[in-house]
Amino acid sequence: MRINSKLLGGLLALTLGHSASAVAGLNIFACEPEYAALAKELAPDARIYSATTAMQDPHQVQARPSLIAKMRQADLALCAGAELEIGWLPMLQMKSANARVRDGSDGMLYAAELIETLDKLDKVDRSMGDVHVKGNPHLHFSPGRLLQVAEAVTARLKRLDPGNSAGYDAAFASFSERWQAAIPAWEASAHGLAGRKVIAYHTSFRYLFDWLGIEQVADLEPKPGLPPSSGHLASLLERARKGDVSAIVVASYQDTRGANWLAEKANLPVLVLPMSVGGNDESQDLFSLYDSVINLLNGVN
Amino acid sequence: MNSFRLSVLASSLISAVAVAETPTLGNPAISAVLDGYYQSGDRALGGREEGFGLGESELAISANIDDLFYGKLTAVIEVHDGETELELEEAFIQTLAMPAGLSVRAGRFLSDVGYLNNQHLHTDAFAGRPAVYRAFLGGHYFDDGLRLSWVAPTDLYWTFGVEALKGDNMRAEDEHGEREFDTVGVYNAFTKLGGDIGDNSSWQLGLAYMKNQNGRLTPHEEGEEPHEEDEPAHDHSHSAAYTGENTYVADFVYKWAPNGNYKYQHLTLSGEFFRVNDFKAPELNEEEHEEEEGHEHSHGKDYHQGWYLSGVYQFSPNWSAGLRYGELDTQLAHDDHFDAQKLKETEVSLNWHHSHFSTVRLQYTRQQGTNFDGISDDNLFTLQYVMTLGAHGAHQF
Repeated sequence: MRINSKLLGGLLALTLGHSASAVAGLNIFACEPEYAALAKELAPDARIYSATTAMQDPHQVQARPSLIAKMRQADLALCAGAELEIGWLPMLQMKSANARVRDGSDGMLYAAELIETLDKLDKVDRSMGDVHVKGNPHLHFSPGRLLQVAEAVTARLKRLDPGNSAGYDAAFASFSERWQAAIPAWEASAHGLAGRKVIAYHTSFRYLFDWLGIEQVADLEPKPGLPPSSGHLASLLERARKGDVSAIVVASYQDTRGANWLAEKANLPVLVLPMSVGGNDESQDLFSLYDSVINLLNGVN
Repeated sequence: MNSFRLSVLASSLISAVAVAETPTLGNPAISAVLDGYYQSGDRALGGREEGFGLGESELAISANIDDLFYGKLTAVIEVHDGETELELEEAFIQTLAMPAGLSVRAGRFLSDVGYLNNQHLHTDAFAGRPAVYRAFLGGHYFDDGLRLSWVAPTDLYWTFGVEALKGDNMRAEDEHGEREFDTVGVYNAFTKLGGDIGDNSSWQLGLAYMKNQNGRLTPHEEGEEPHEEDEPAHDHSHSAAYTGENTYVADFVYKWAPNGNYKYQHLTLSGEFFRVNDFKAPELNEEEHEEEEGHEHSHGKDYHQGWYLSGVYQFSPNWSAGLRYGELDTQLAHDDHFDAQKLKETEVSLNWHHSHFSTVRLQYTRQQGTNFDGISDDNLFTLQYVMTLGAHGAHQF
């Protein structure tokens, strides 16, 4: 009889595998790799899953079965927000039937709601392209904003897992200290970039350029969400001929064909920057991601 | 007074459409789909008709009702046989906070049978549903009822669900309107499994069993004159043309994109197989057995069957092409016996997407019928647009 009850307990533990793993640490679902990396800094013991990679356009992710399965088990979902994931996240929330991560629950956190976004719009019309009312969601290249997000994530981790509050406080203190020490070093290293003019694809690096004083004078996209058209590229060539543009910048998940065409005609370098952690070999965490991006920008004369 | 209220409603709708993205309290997600086409001929089994026409133009409103419930209403305006029909395709609530991966959907909703059925028509890569859908599900099967589903807490996606539905559109033909049908006519059980293969590929497999209490044909009465040349399901476009007591469905979908990045190119392969059996009235079954013993010849089989395979390749953000082939084998009741008939469809579509919200499609369809509704060999061309405006809801895999 004792064996049977043990067996039953084992079966129960197996079927309730989720609650068993929650004891070992939280289950965190990150929409983008930068938030998976942040979660790793702030909750090193957590089981962390990134829904996308730096090679995938987060606007156009499929609400695929594997993501539903991961979302089903999540204690905390951490996403950029500002409608970046509007095409797939609501479907995951619906299909995963996990009340912990529905909007308004403690387990659903949107980074864009924790900070002041750039380029908020009062008026939005689809003829303007695929634009977001709530501002630009690619905020992880703003070191100050990312620190604010880290602080809010830490508060949320403590609320979800109060038993480990001290551990989360310690992890945040460590991250905050290293991050705040790194910012002036990055700024010193990127000193020469201020005032540079670039042509870029989408507003992926809006916050990075805002931070470092780089000016994006034109966009390879004719309208947000639309791929570069030949007519639009011709107009960019006109713009490039003014001679003040130093590079064409694309993100690791963006197609380089339009950029390469323009680069050849205008005799400009194409710079592929990692959009996130994992976007190139150098970018292993948030620190090395920033290092790599600034190194690459500095490599252009 | 009425017109005043109407105009207030209209203006609030318009302002909501202009800004709706993430639904908020005073601002539910509102979207409309516009679908118009020209087609060079009639499509078999309640598909699009010849000439200029409108497809399903839909208007949908959805929002969280509170922290426990989500609600959605989809009205579809359809022109059929020269009549404009307004139909509710969805009017359901869904639970948001049940424990243990459980959820309930109640009201009118798209059944979770098969792969395509729970997807909205405007997301399709072709101008119409495959022949198996038009034959066995009335194009796409939505109904009034209840669904309970469960998602397993495993890394391999596994969901299981049961549905109980009214089944009006799945009833066998009842020429005289004398039959007493079960009011809960359809029970459906389904399961789906899915996952990723590396960064590039994702897959899903589905199985469903549908029990249709009203799927068997009505027994013929003694001395009754059978209708001549009965064309199935002429009364309503959403009724299944061929029904049976048991329906088995197997489906798969495989999607591929380089590095899992769907923006620039991706490939979708999908296929479904349907078998419908036990469609004969009980007494007809007996007659058939006796007949088989006596005569050598047998009329048709004792099941309907159909399948399709579809491949859609999006080769740039602006262009995609699709190829679909399907076969349908059905048995048509004819006096006291059944005649086997067959329909084959080969379809090629070329789609131009200016943005994520607009598609213009050119499609070629070759219908080849054997004893099928007078179709022997038919070529169809369809030129169609499908455009969505307002809040664009998330799409399923």
